[in-house]
Formats: sequence, C-alpha cells, structure tokens
Amino acid sequence: MVEGGFQEFVAAYVLEAEEHLETATNQLLSIETALRSGGANLKGLREAFRSLHTIKGLSAMVGVEPVVSIAHRMETLLRSCDRRSAKLPIESIDVLLGGLRAIRSRVRAFGEGKPVPLPEPELLRALDELDDEHGADSAEIPPLELEPALASKLGALEVEQLRAGLAEGQRAVRVDFNPSVEKSARGVTINQVRERVQQLGELVKVFPTSKPPSGEQPGGLAFVIVLLTRAPDAAVAEAASVEPDSVQLLASPPSREALLASKQRALGEFDANNPANEEIAAPQRGVVRVEVSRLDETVDGLSALIVTRFRLSRAVRALRDKGIDTRELEEIVGDNGRQLRNLRAAILRVRMVPVSELLDRIPLIVRSLKRSMNRLVELDLDSGGTEVDKAVAERLFPAVVHLIRNAVDHAIETPDERVRRGKPQEGSIRVECSNRSNRWLEMRITDDGRGIDAEAVARRGGVPVPATSAGLLALICRSGLSTRDVATTTSGRGMGMEIVERIVTQQLGGELSLSTEFGKGTTFTLLVPLTITVVDAFSFISGGQRFVTPVATIDEIVELDRSTLQGPTLSGKSAVKLMARRGRPVPVLSLAEVFRMPAPENEAKALIVRSGDEIVAFSIDRMLGQQEIVVRPLNDSLVKVPGVSGATDLGDGKPTLVLDLISLGSRLGERGGLHA
Amino acid sequence: MKELLVVDDSKVMRDMVVACLRGISDARFTQAASGLEAIERLSLGRFDLVVLDLNMPDISGIEVLEFVRSQDNLKALPIVVVTTRGDEASRASALAAGATLFMTKPFTPEAIVAEAQRLLGAGA
Repeated sequence: MVEGGFQEFVAAYVLEAEEHLETATNQLLSIETALRSGGANLKGLREAFRSLHTIKGLSAMVGVEPVVSIAHRMETLLRSCDRRSAKLPIESIDVLLGGLRAIRSRVRAFGEGKPVPLPEPELLRALDELDDEHGADSAEIPPLELEPALASKLGALEVEQLRAGLAEGQRAVRVDFNPSVEKSARGVTINQVRERVQQLGELVKVFPTSKPPSGEQPGGLAFVIVLLTRAPDAAVAEAASVEPDSVQLLASPPSREALLASKQRALGEFDANNPANEEIAAPQRGVVRVEVSRLDETVDGLSALIVTRFRLSRAVRALRDKGIDTRELEEIVGDNGRQLRNLRAAILRVRMVPVSELLDRIPLIVRSLKRSMNRLVELDLDSGGTEVDKAVAERLFPAVVHLIRNAVDHAIETPDERVRRGKPQEGSIRVECSNRSNRWLEMRITDDGRGIDAEAVARRGGVPVPATSAGLLALICRSGLSTRDVATTTSGRGMGMEIVERIVTQQLGGELSLSTEFGKGTTFTLLVPLTITVVDAFSFISGGQRFVTPVATIDEIVELDRSTLQGPTLSGKSAVKLMARRGRPVPVLSLAEVFRMPAPENEAKALIVRSGDEIVAFSIDRMLGQQEIVVRPLNDSLVKVPGVSGATDLGDGKPTLVLDLISLGSRLGERGGLHA
Repeated sequence: MKELLVVDDSKVMRDMVVACLRGISDARFTQAASGLEAIERLSLGRFDLVVLDLNMPDISGIEVLEFVRSQDNLKALPIVVVTTRGDEASRASALAAGATLFMTKPFTPEAIVAEAQRLLGAGA
C-alpha cells in the first residue's frame, strides 16, 4: 500500500533505488579491494553511505518500512565509520552485501505490487552486532601541505584521495568558477562546469566561497573546484569557462612518480608540468571536442525532420489520390529522403569514438591492481581500429573494467605459483577488438591464468556441473553466487559478473560468451552493437501489459473522465468514443483494443497524439513513469507490427515494446477507423 | 507569485516534494539537483522558501545552510530541511547552521503544505 498518494512514483522509486543499490554494491566491492591491500577507500564509504541514505528516505516516503529498517541499520554502521574516517571492518562486507540483496528483493516485490516481507531477524542481528563491534582502526591518513583556507575544507577522505592521485602521477589543481545570470542564460552553470571538469580527471571537492568586493572587482559567489588531473591548465580552464591563468597548481606528483609520468609521456600521455608539452596538449588541428548533449540535440532535430518528412509524403499522397499531378513533388520528396538518410549516417559517424580511447584507460587500472595484488601482468591491447557510438562506449567501459579486474584479481596466479605450474612468471591479459559485419563490435578479453573450476563453482551453487560453457557462464552470472563466493573460494572469478552480463545483454542488447580451460586460462567475448538509440520515454500499462513510448511523440497526458465521453457510436466494427478537448471532439481509442487485447472498463488516462492535423487520444490503464530507454530494433519480421518501433529492457530482463503512436494513429486514420 | 526552491539529488524525491506542495496556490517551483546548484540559484535569483535535503554529493545540506546564512541577503530566507530517521545528529548541526524547520520523511502533503504556507505568510 502506497502512503500519502505517491502511487505515481512507484516505478520511478524502483528505478532510482536499483541505481543506488548498484552504486552501493560497487562501492562495497571496491572498499573490500582497498581493505585487502591495506587501504581504506573513504570516498567509497561515503558514496555507499549516501546511496543507502537515499534509499532509506525514498522508501520511507513510499512506505516500504522493511527496507527502511534494513537500510537504517546498514547506514548507521557506514555513518559511524565515515564520521571517524575509520576503516570498515572487512568482515562487515559480506553482511552488508547480504543487506543490499535483501533490500533489492523487497524493492522489486514492492514494485510488482507483492507483499514486502519483514527483514530476516538474522540479518538485523548481524548488522547490529557489527555496529557494536566497530571499534575498528582509524584509517591513517598522513596530512598534506596545503594553504590553510583550503585545508580546512578538505576532510580525511579528500586528503586520502589527493594522496592516492598524486602517487599515481596526477597533479592537484584549483580552479574558481564565478556564476552569473548572464552565464547561466548561456547554460554555463556550476552543474555543467562540474560535469565538464570531472571529465578531465578526478573531482576532489567543490565548495562555495563568497568574495568581498575589492577595488574594481565586484564581490560575489565563487565555486572552488579541486581536481586531480593529467590535463594541461588550458584544458581545465576551458572546461571551467575561465581564463587559462586562473588555474592554480596545488601539488605535483612526488619525484619518483614524476619519473614514471615521464615514461607515460613517452607513451603519449600528457604531463602538463612541462610547459613544452602544453603545445602537444593543444587541440589537434581540425579536431573539435563536442559535448554529447550537443550531439543529442542534433539527433533530436533530425528526428523532428523525419516526422515532418513523413507528414510531407502523406500530404503528397493525398494530392495524388485527388488526381493531381505530383510527379515533381514526389521526386523532391525522394531526394529529401535520401538526404535525410545521409545526414543521419553523418551524425552517427560524429558520435563514434575510437575503442582505443577506452583501452587507453586500462593500463592505469591494472597498474594499481598489480601492485596491490602482487601480480606480474603484461597487457596487450589491440583496438583493431574499431569505433563505437559514445553512448555504447560509456556503458561498455564499466563491464570491461570488471572483466580486467577479475582477471588480475582472481585469474592470474602469483608469480611463484605460475613458475610452479610451468608458466612464465608474468601473466598475460590480451584485449582484441574487431568489427563483425558493420553493426557489431566483438571484444575478446583473454588471460592465461588458472581458468574457471566448473566443478567447484557448481558445488558452491549447489547445482550439477554445467555441461556447456554457456551454462557455466549463466551460473557465474547468477546473482548472489557471483558477488563473492566464486571469486574468493574457488579461484575462479565472479566479482560483478552479474553486472557485466546485465550491461552487455540488457543495456546494450549484445551477447556475452565464455570459453575457459581449467589451469590454462579464460576468454570472455563481448558482442555489442556499434550504436544504440537512447530516448526519453514514458512507461505505462495498457490491457495489463507494459509499454513505453518516446516522450517527444506525446502531446499531452490527460485524465480520462468517463462521464464526459460521448458515444460509443458504431462505425463498422470499431466503437469510437469522442472526448472534448479545447472545444474540439477528439476520437478516443483504447490502445488495448487496437492491439486486440482485453481492455479494462476503467481506463483512467489517455495519451494525446498529433499526427498531421489529426489528433487522437489513446486510452490506457495507467502511467508508470518516465525514463531513458535504449531502443533495440525488432529484427524478426514475424514480430514486425505497425505502430511498434522496437523493444527495450526496463531492467527486468523482459522485453518491453516501444510504441510509435504517431504512425499508429495515422494508420488508423487512413483506414477511416477514426471517423464516427 | 511565490518562488520555491526544492533541493535534492534524488529526482524522485524532488518530484514527490513538488507533488506534495502542489496545494500551495500561486507558487512556482524550481528544482536544484545539488547543493552547489542551490547556492548558485539562490545567489542569482529571488526565492521565498527553500526545501533542502541534507544528504547530497560535493557539499551537504549543512554546508549549504552555513553558506546561505553567511550571506546578508539570505539570512531571513525560510529553509525547510527534510530529514530521515537516523539524522538526529545532523538535525542538531542543521539547526545550528540556521535551518528554519524540519520535516521528517515520511511526511504528508497536508503537513508540509501547512508549514510552507505558514512560513510563506510570515515572510510576506
């Protein structure tokens, strides 16, 4: 039962809670990695705490009390460590991950309208006990020399982050952003600046200061941004929309690391400490850096053009039907169509980024892992000159990182063990990419580590040994089993395999496969589409089924007042009702009936769609929410239904149809079905 | 026209708060997705009431309060702080930092509308 009339927020609640659960899971796993190597990852602790706190607050609002009480106990533990900048006790990770699973299953039950079980007493007890015991060590963070005004704003976790960043060879810089009404009108806001600056490195802290007016300088608000970066000052200044000389260096990497940094420079990375490199760092000739949001605007504009073209060809057809000579018009419309297709292809090409940009980020990750895990690893990265859409790259990267991490953490043996097994001391991880047809990218990640012990994995999962590698993959991707057991006890892998699988198959609509030989090594093959379409969509229920439709195609969502509906009048077989909208009668079609599904009597909402001059209202059961979806085309011609533009996955692994109500409305209009 | 600023990094929570406050007539809502954005908006525009979450990235609600109260023109601005069970300690710091009022989740639309109207009336 939803309290306080928040029914309409249930779907959005479930989605946001799932996001925070994923963040918390990832942070806990990375905290565990840090703890094992003697670190603390205070930033991860803070993030995990914040996610749980948000889940708790949202759950309290929609009235899911069992989730509130689990999240409250978990949060209390994290909060007390965060407050004291203390390390999380390592034995708490298991319990906390169990808590996240308990929350996830309850959030899902709530979303599906099922009863939400009370928390397991064992879980609450385990969490309470941890909270009593947490006299854990304080993380020892040595101080960092900084100007006092700044130092007072940085807590232990920021200092820890700065230290780690400097040790990795990054520079710490400060840049100040002064907001103004005029900048804000141009879209230059602190949110945008923060976003852009973050892309250049690691954001450490942003805080406001207020400057008194001095001389000709007006006083006012300034945001101080502290950033760890390898980018030159000019790039940081550009991102923050300020003058280049207003970027201040706070701290440089220690000299031993500077040596390493110079090696990286030889490999093509920036080190902006050296002014000579500022030139190298300057934008390449003929290359423009564009924000993805601007590209999205061009795609939106293109979609609008395509809709207009659709209306144009309909109007031409109508003229022809009246016996008017439209040959010249049809020729123009034909040219227009070809030009639009070319434009679409050109825009899609602009959105492509080289896969090598993704791969370039891997050595750094492996370097810090190798050190902490005592492994020798040689990386062999080959992008094969491939490119993927920016949106695909952004989603794919976390999956690749997970797989590489697993390979270093769990697959590659220690140097001693490798020698005993007759392998070279240095393990090898190879990433190879190639295009499969012109629509797919294939990425193979191969290690020569210990391979996956199928028997041990099956034993842990309490199931028979899988007969095929697909079966083994399904088993290690199984939620619960995957997060830790496999990784730690069977020398296989498993950390986050559930997440990897979800990214590749659900978010990207691709395929994940596995081939492994016990003792010899493992290859994961990721097959992902080169481009995906992401649109903002409404989700709703009609005829008991869930559908989504792009927000841009809906004119308005209205309450359907049964008492003011006119009709039904019978025209042929279909009964068309009319509603009044701004003094004009609008035909109301039950979407369920259009798709020949049983339509409930109490359809409460209607989606108003305009197709040309015609306005149609599709009545539906109820709205669920609004979210970004990845549209996948339906390739199977058997399921090609007019009005259905593709399918998407809303996160439950089941396909949901994406409806194109504009073309559905116009088709029904052409058949005369709309006229009473 | 009363100008209300709703600050929370959770979009669902912002939408729920706005839905709760729909009962206030003649009000316009602005949403801020972070404490930084809230400070920017407060320094660039005029607002009659702020509904503020405590738990946000970069800077917390407490830091927002501290900064806002250090500005001469914002000392009297009514700020309703939204908290959850377990926030008792933060509530004390928020009070010290200048919070006008606390609402604890879950709250009802009636409750927050009544308080908001009282604060808006007092400020007018």
